[in-house]
Amino acid sequence: MSFELKELQDSTRRVIDAAGIAADESELWSQLTELGWLMVTVPESLGGLEAGVQGACTMHCELGRGLARAPYLPAMLALDAICGSEQSERDTWLEQVFAGGLITTCLAECSLHVSDSRLDGSATGVQSADSAQHVLLWTDSNDLVVLVDLRKPGVAITAKPTWDLTRRLFDVELDQVPLSEHHIVAEGESARVMIQRLAALRDFYLAADAIGGAQTMLEMTIEHLQTRVQFKRPLALFQALKHRCADMKASIVAAEAMLFDALRRLEGDLDNPQFGIKARGVKMFATTMFTQVAEDCLQLHGGIGMADEHPCHLFLKRALLSEQLSGSGAAYASNLALDLIENSGNLQSGKCA
Amino acid sequence: MTTENRIEALRQEVRAWLESNVPTGWREAMTNVEQDAFVAAQRDWFVKLSTAGYATPHWPQGWLGGGRSLAEQKVIFEEVARADAPRLILYFVALYHAACTLFECGTDQQREKYLDGILQGKIWCQGFSEPNAGSDLASLRTKAERRGDRYVINGQKIWSTMAQYADYCLLLVRTDNSGPPQAGLTYLLLDMKTKGVSVRPISQITGDDEFAEIFFDDVEVAVEDRVGEEGAGWAVAQATLASERGLTLVELTQRMRYALPMLVQSMRQNGCEHDPVVHRDLGKLIANVDAACALADQYLMKRIMGDEQVGDASIVKLFYAKTLREFAALGVRIGGLQAQYYSGFMRGATQETGHWTLDFMNSYNWSIAGGSNEVQRNIISERMLGMPREPKSWQLAEGKA
Repeated sequence: MSFELKELQDSTRRVIDAAGIAADESELWSQLTELGWLMVTVPESLGGLEAGVQGACTMHCELGRGLARAPYLPAMLALDAICGSEQSERDTWLEQVFAGGLITTCLAECSLHVSDSRLDGSATGVQSADSAQHVLLWTDSNDLVVLVDLRKPGVAITAKPTWDLTRRLFDVELDQVPLSEHHIVAEGESARVMIQRLAALRDFYLAADAIGGAQTMLEMTIEHLQTRVQFKRPLALFQALKHRCADMKASIVAAEAMLFDALRRLEGDLDNPQFGIKARGVKMFATTMFTQVAEDCLQLHGGIGMADEHPCHLFLKRALLSEQLSGSGAAYASNLALDLIENSGNLQSGKCA
Repeated sequence: MTTENRIEALRQEVRAWLESNVPTGWREAMTNVEQDAFVAAQRDWFVKLSTAGYATPHWPQGWLGGGRSLAEQKVIFEEVARADAPRLILYFVALYHAACTLFECGTDQQREKYLDGILQGKIWCQGFSEPNAGSDLASLRTKAERRGDRYVINGQKIWSTMAQYADYCLLLVRTDNSGPPQAGLTYLLLDMKTKGVSVRPISQITGDDEFAEIFFDDVEVAVEDRVGEEGAGWAVAQATLASERGLTLVELTQRMRYALPMLVQSMRQNGCEHDPVVHRDLGKLIANVDAACALADQYLMKRIMGDEQVGDASIVKLFYAKTLREFAALGVRIGGLQAQYYSGFMRGATQETGHWTLDFMNSYNWSIAGGSNEVQRNIISERMLGMPREPKSWQLAEGKA
């Protein structure tokens, strides 16, 4: 980890540690907008930190450690799209974000089409839509990325309460919403590239968030095992439990290595299609790992792990949701396999670098 | 030239050399062959590789091919994996364990006596494990008694890879029983032709006999063939075991990635190319293989930067061993009944040969040898996660053996 990333990590961790696990959404939101955290990938010329996707993932990892509730993940995705926009409205949107206004986006499925300059369709998994002014969406044909004003007629938002208590999701329905030119972020080929890139970033950010969550969960569990005494000894003395912790540690470190290795190799080349498939692999591995870690850690806590007052369940529920957001593990596993099958002609040509 | 350019130039040089020098069809040639043919093929490949300077990049400056940085060594290992070159199984102990131990802890006379021999193809084996000292290596009992300027050795070693072909052995023996077990160990260099040494190959579950037992019956070793002081054997053995510095796992994880298309080929042969259940299993494996590669790579980068922490190596080895088992297990499932028909064995191959049941058996090499998965989990939980060690108060119940 470079010096700059380490610094970013340290300062994020200080704030998140002080805020505590699953701290209040609006308090954290105003804190992190004031600190300029949303600007982590934004170029310096536009007033950002220019810390790249590695910087963003370092930060998501730290926010994940604290099961942060604020909608920074969709906000950072929307901001990335805006920065990549070639439209003249770009700076107006940026000012809105700088002023602390939330532009959210869809963390699950987006299905939209245009006819007669009107938008129809729906998006699921839109985080904190009730506190956002705009939502960033894209069409099924992948040739249009738009900002939709959530307060306009024809736009309906429905809260979809989740088991995960740390994120609030909404469905957004669009019925004959006039498509204003002022709200087009990208069109044609640049929209297609942008949508791919957003999908990949979403996967990397969710992966980083999962890694952070798993780290805290394991640390909490080891602390519990060190202090909980049964049979006149700390539970941490039992090899059966130690080995489970060791396996969890290995998976967490593996996920982290996988994430940052992919970013090191692809950081300068975000529009490369390999970026998308790598991102899916990392997202699947990291979120599955988080679920497995959370599942086993709750078990290792014994009875207290089933109590609402203990944070164990918050980790498990966040992990389960993250596994389904963006794309499920099962779907991504098939994607990876089909990619390999497609690229394995005969054995020799399969040996690519 | 910048460091980055130099590394890239080396990569291209090694790649070009391997393209014209890796023996073609070596996998077929090494399937179901007698061990002598395997040894001859290994020797040929060793001579080629060492003459080109690619067998000894980790040796100090001044030796053939030596003086390479860790980053350069990594490039050579990556390219060897990419070219699917045979692994130098027969020479690994000589090139890494023996040489690095001598460079680090040996005397000038010892270096002079043995290192040239290694370059000329002398084979070394390791005499560490014993029937009753596996994971608990420090409890080993093979005894060396000092008599004048010689040690006299009695006892038995086991799991010594290719000991039946070895010229020399790195031998860890007990010279003292009085203190803690680690303190009474001494490190010796043994000529395998010495009177009283006998070797018995162990027939393995794969049908191969890669390992052997070594028996010592009043075997004499001169005091000048002791490495380090008497009683310092444990520390010297740590130097031996640390010698390959994570490079092997970079090579093996890369080889595993390059071998993934073999699974696709098996799917095609067995008509399960479109099976969605197989797709899911394969997809999960691809991600695990990717993670294993990233882990090995990150570990080596940490070593290059001098950032290694206790337990890091254990995580890489544990994760690789588990992923390798999953890889072979998926091959066995895809292979179906076909994979259950006896297909013989391939000598000196990589871990993935496409003979899936053989590969499955062979994958235990990595979950048991070199510190079993269980030992790695102890290291991770105790030394990395700070969980307490097992209490030492346990005793055999009375009357039990």
